[in-house]
Amino acid sequence: MSSPVLQLTGLSKSYGHGDIFSGISFEVGSGKTVGLFGQSGSGKSTLGRCIMRLEDPSSGHITMQGMELARMRKGKLRELRPSFQMIFQHPEVSLNPRMTLAESVAEPLMVHKGIGMDEALREIGLLIRRVGLRDEHLARYPHQLSGGEVQRAVLSRIFSLKPKLVVADEPTSMLDVSVQAQVLRLMQDLQAETGVSYVFISHDPDVMGVMCDKVLWIEQGKGVMYDRSTFIDHVKAKYTSEVPS
Amino acid sequence: MTLLSIHDLNVRFPTGEGTVHASRDVSFSMESGEVLGLVGETGSGKSVIGQAIIRLLPSNANITGTIAFNGQELTTLKDDAMHALRGRSISLVPQNPSGSLDPLLRNGMQIGEIFIERGTAKNTAWEKACDLLVTVGLIPSEQIAKEYPHELSGGMRQRLTTSIAIAENSRLIIADEPTKGLDFHARETTARVLSEIKKRDNASLLLITHDLYLAEHLCDWIAVLYAGEIVEIGPAGQIFNTPRHPYTQALIRAMPKNGLVPLDGQSPSLMAIPEGCCFADRCSCHSERCSKEHPDLIQESLNGGVRCHHPFSS
Repeated sequence: MSSPVLQLTGLSKSYGHGDIFSGISFEVGSGKTVGLFGQSGSGKSTLGRCIMRLEDPSSGHITMQGMELARMRKGKLRELRPSFQMIFQHPEVSLNPRMTLAESVAEPLMVHKGIGMDEALREIGLLIRRVGLRDEHLARYPHQLSGGEVQRAVLSRIFSLKPKLVVADEPTSMLDVSVQAQVLRLMQDLQAETGVSYVFISHDPDVMGVMCDKVLWIEQGKGVMYDRSTFIDHVKAKYTSEVPS
Repeated sequence: MTLLSIHDLNVRFPTGEGTVHASRDVSFSMESGEVLGLVGETGSGKSVIGQAIIRLLPSNANITGTIAFNGQELTTLKDDAMHALRGRSISLVPQNPSGSLDPLLRNGMQIGEIFIERGTAKNTAWEKACDLLVTVGLIPSEQIAKEYPHELSGGMRQRLTTSIAIAENSRLIIADEPTKGLDFHARETTARVLSEIKKRDNASLLLITHDLYLAEHLCDWIAVLYAGEIVEIGPAGQIFNTPRHPYTQALIRAMPKNGLVPLDGQSPSLMAIPEGCCFADRCSCHSERCSKEHPDLIQESLNGGVRCHHPFSS
């Protein structure tokens, strides 16, 4: 078996008032999806942000393709950035409101490859169509787009860098059910085509059941790992008694 | 007994770029003690219907059609008579609880001020408020009553606005997206609270939601909205088990537990509504007739019908 894309060992994060989570360990294989499930405030987003090093973990190790990320310096981290990317929950604030969609989707390549906008757009032309955006979308600003269209644009931004790992923080929780299905299916297709690994954060057990190979259930700062089928059984056991008749 | 009867409701908003036809020929009725779900996606015009009933639409809204509540016509009711109904006979659980609570009032007083306004003594009002907090499961109520809205989670704030809506034993409660932005656990709790309120007061609940999971668990009747009009209406079990409109079927199949089947395309702009069926260009069963001729809502039973030239058989 190939080595995991991401490996967490004993990862902990505490703020002044106590532990958010502690002793989190799991690994994500190439082309696999691991879910982070928990209630609001369980620390699942903070864990995602620690993996991205948008926040610094208090202790423990994050190994990405053999390199220790948890205490890596900013300069080195920046070089590695293209290989691990993040999708955020709120589409309306995910893109710079003063940039057209064309500028937004070309930006990552311009930054990381040092190329011009026209060249960047040529390079990702196929990808832009792949995520279902048309030329008419590219001239628009984020406020002129629907939530689903923005998340598609975010996906084309991210996948232009050919990442190995994507942390998706509730990417569809603000979307309608039919748009959610479009975006999640697109994420699955992109995974099949590129072999990317996902850390998928959600509080919706049904979405977890569809998207994830394994699910880490975070409760009171501790994580328990379930396979897809045992996770669904566990959710049913825990919540059936509370479903109104 | 029929509590609410809406007939051919149309709501238009004139704007600089054209007229937004947000609600088109909407008709349905509700009996006492029933739960009717208005289900639809963003921009389908479901909130507009709720606000038209309780008369909280912006002043530029152009409303036609009739809304009869308990035999009384609401669209032509004088403002002071409507004011007397609002909050007493008809209440609204608003979308966005955070923006609906006064950040400077203690939670108990958010509810208590209703009673004080009606002449109840302050300490009695506070006690009644605490009782209502218990009803919606905000326990320990004494302590929560002393706190402020910012100290509550999203789910708790949602239950607080719900408790305000039930303070006066309203006959009709309009709940606008009560589970928006809530996690699974808070959704379950909200669903339980709403179903208990229905049992307790025999109130009717108009549930406006895009949360199909909630609608399936709570509603007796469901009306599915698309581009401002009802495309299918019927008993909840029938809608979920044997949907007849292709859009209803697509919505249900898009739910993660039903296969996450994506529905391509987008709903039409409410400023440029197509001549034929609004769903035609996304529909797998459309014919030439669908692009030309707008389908009527075919009433097949007392409160059931489908707006489609080629409905699935039930």
